[in-house]
Amino acid sequence: MSVFILPILFIALFVYCLFKRINTYDHFVKGAKGAIKLVVDIFPFIASILIAVALLRVSGLTDLLAQIMSPVFNLLGIPTELCELVLLRPFTGSGSYGILETIFTTYGADSYISRCACVIMGCSETIFYVATVYISQTKVKKLLYAIPVALFCSLIGTVLACLICKVM
Amino acid sequence: MMLSSMLVLLVTNPSVILAEMIGASASALQLCIELCAVYAVWLGIIEMVEASGLGEKLAKLLRPLIRKIFKVDDQETQKIIALNLSANMLGLGNASTPTGIKAMQRLDDGSGKATFAMIMLVVVNATSIQLLPTTVIGLRSSAGSQSPADIILPTLIVTFCTTILGIFLVHAIDKIIKKLRHKS
Repeated sequence: MSVFILPILFIALFVYCLFKRINTYDHFVKGAKGAIKLVVDIFPFIASILIAVALLRVSGLTDLLAQIMSPVFNLLGIPTELCELVLLRPFTGSGSYGILETIFTTYGADSYISRCACVIMGCSETIFYVATVYISQTKVKKLLYAIPVALFCSLIGTVLACLICKVM
Repeated sequence: MMLSSMLVLLVTNPSVILAEMIGASASALQLCIELCAVYAVWLGIIEMVEASGLGEKLAKLLRPLIRKIFKVDDQETQKIIALNLSANMLGLGNASTPTGIKAMQRLDDGSGKATFAMIMLVVVNATSIQLLPTTVIGLRSSAGSQSPADIILPTLIVTFCTTILGIFLVHAIDKIIKKLRHKS
């Protein structure tokens, strides 16, 4: 089902543009041109956040943090097996997808742990990454309370996810 | 954060620090090349959406909601936010980034402090309502799941709750800060 949605939307857009007598090729090229400049602009920010995450993981600090946090998480109803995912999710997209795959292979794709992990992935974002990249091209240096609120909402989402997967 | 991990590594395994940093930087470069390809497609599509007037129509549809949530009156900015939110809802995180950056630039008032709308944009993006968690479903079915799509409904319920909570919290904190400022 979901495989068809994007292609259908694209075709609809092309047909609509034809109908409106808009030169699709010219506009597509014009838009696509902006991609290289955008990537060049955000590369240093992506690099620094990935370096920070890599150091954090290789130093074993995340494992330590997961160990310290797991009693707290357990209290909130989050299983210990999901701690690493929950802790790394705000920092790295590709990293957390890696953890998700490990969870699938370790516990089976249809287990409670795996389903929880899926819902957690769906309801959370790579908050630090998004925040860094989004404000990288503005003069703003601090996002005030944006990050704490976003993290808090993700935590609530995680707790909810673990609850809902028990009943559904 | 970087400093503390480096300090730990200095004790445990100092030889990997530089290698790890360069490795991460290399994967950032690789990610950027991939992103460049993704952005080229999406920015092209977005340009078509705008030129055809569909962006304007979409913005009109979402305008009351955006005005209420973000307290933004500028029409062009509303349009960009509308595009950003739509990409998010379709689960296209990478497609929403260019529009998010653009929206942030328009919302920046040059004071160096994040405005209300900027904070709201970060929070809404962070808790984004995903109608189709496409990547997760794909991974799950390739891992041999019997019914990979049965996480859609729980995901919807949870993201809906967290997004509402996020919007509510940002509004509440904004009100409290304004009140405190009035008093002092």
